[in-house]
Amino acid sequence: MAGFRLPPNSRIRKGLTHRATPGAGEVRAVRIYRFDPTSGQNPRLDTFELDVKGCGPMVLDALIHIKAAVDSSLTFRRSCREGICGSCAMNINGVNRLACTTAMQDLSGAIRIYPLPHMSVVKDLVPDLTDFYAQYASVKPWLQARTPAPPDRERLQSKEEQERIDRPAACILCACCSTACPSYWWNSDRFLGPAALLAAYRWIVDSRDEATGERLDELQDPFRLYRCHTIMNCTDACPKDLNPAKAIAEIKKLLVERQC
Amino acid sequence: MPQRPLSPHLSVYKFKYTLATSILNRAAGLVLSLGLPALVYWLMAVASGTSAYTRASALLSLGVFKLLYLGQLAAFCYHLVAGVRHLIWDTGRGLERAQAQRSAWVVAGVSIVLMVLLGYWAFLAGARLS
Repeated sequence: MAGFRLPPNSRIRKGLTHRATPGAGEVRAVRIYRFDPTSGQNPRLDTFELDVKGCGPMVLDALIHIKAAVDSSLTFRRSCREGICGSCAMNINGVNRLACTTAMQDLSGAIRIYPLPHMSVVKDLVPDLTDFYAQYASVKPWLQARTPAPPDRERLQSKEEQERIDRPAACILCACCSTACPSYWWNSDRFLGPAALLAAYRWIVDSRDEATGERLDELQDPFRLYRCHTIMNCTDACPKDLNPAKAIAEIKKLLVERQC
Repeated sequence: MPQRPLSPHLSVYKFKYTLATSILNRAAGLVLSLGLPALVYWLMAVASGTSAYTRASALLSLGVFKLLYLGQLAAFCYHLVAGVRHLIWDTGRGLERAQAQRSAWVVAGVSIVLMVLLGYWAFLAGARLS
């Protein structure tokens, strides 16, 4: 259900301020959401005065710099640092994006970093993605075919057939889209969310997949699919420029068309 | 283990055109359904004969109700135009990011023009006729 206020244990306290070292060049305030599960206290918002000249250009560079030089307890996920692993997805200045592909100079004012919205927080910027992955698994994101593959070659596709899955297959499961969606915020226990639905679409339109009917059956549900009200926050947030909103609209169309 | 906190959502997410058009559409729908009792009352009066209709007309012409009609008119215009945008989306068109951004402005513009035209017709031109 929609709960617009944060529960009492989630309200954010005033945090610590880490001043820049004297003589620092260009100083920028970076405010970061902190939660320490061992403290027994509510989350807080810490301010780090960052010498921008002293670290790389991206938000992820700032986080790594702060962890290395100021506060080693700062916790966040990161891996590839080039926008392909999806680990460093977080809410930066109000929008979900990847810290590694977001340049600090493109952000105005103080840099504000929160974990992905409306998620259970494990520590600092690390949300619990268990349900998100379970939703992805529930759409059976693999090829289902009854007819055996040709013995001498792969299951071939035409260029057009490949192009249909080209964009949706580029999803890195960073969760920027799903956690940007208000419908997902209020109904994440029953609505699959844009990321899982984009994956479902990718397999529904795959010319080699033979479980299209079953896949559509699974989605014909007031919550799993139809909680999408085309708010468009998903497409607006996607750091890979994919279009979950369009994929969901296409699934809805397919469900109508098969009744005709 | 202590209970994990819920990360902030509405309070931190940027209020962009996506959220604005969506929440406005919902608010407009809510306003329209709140205005329904007045419409139902008027229709019942029409069906109940001359004396009931005269009484209803006198009541519904009060200044307070004029304010209600203004709200209804604004909500109707926005809800109508935003609804057409949703219809177009449901055909699978106009869902690219740039298109959705543009259509948000188109919806705002067209619904304001419609509000002005309908408002002029209902409150000024119509009043002169009666």
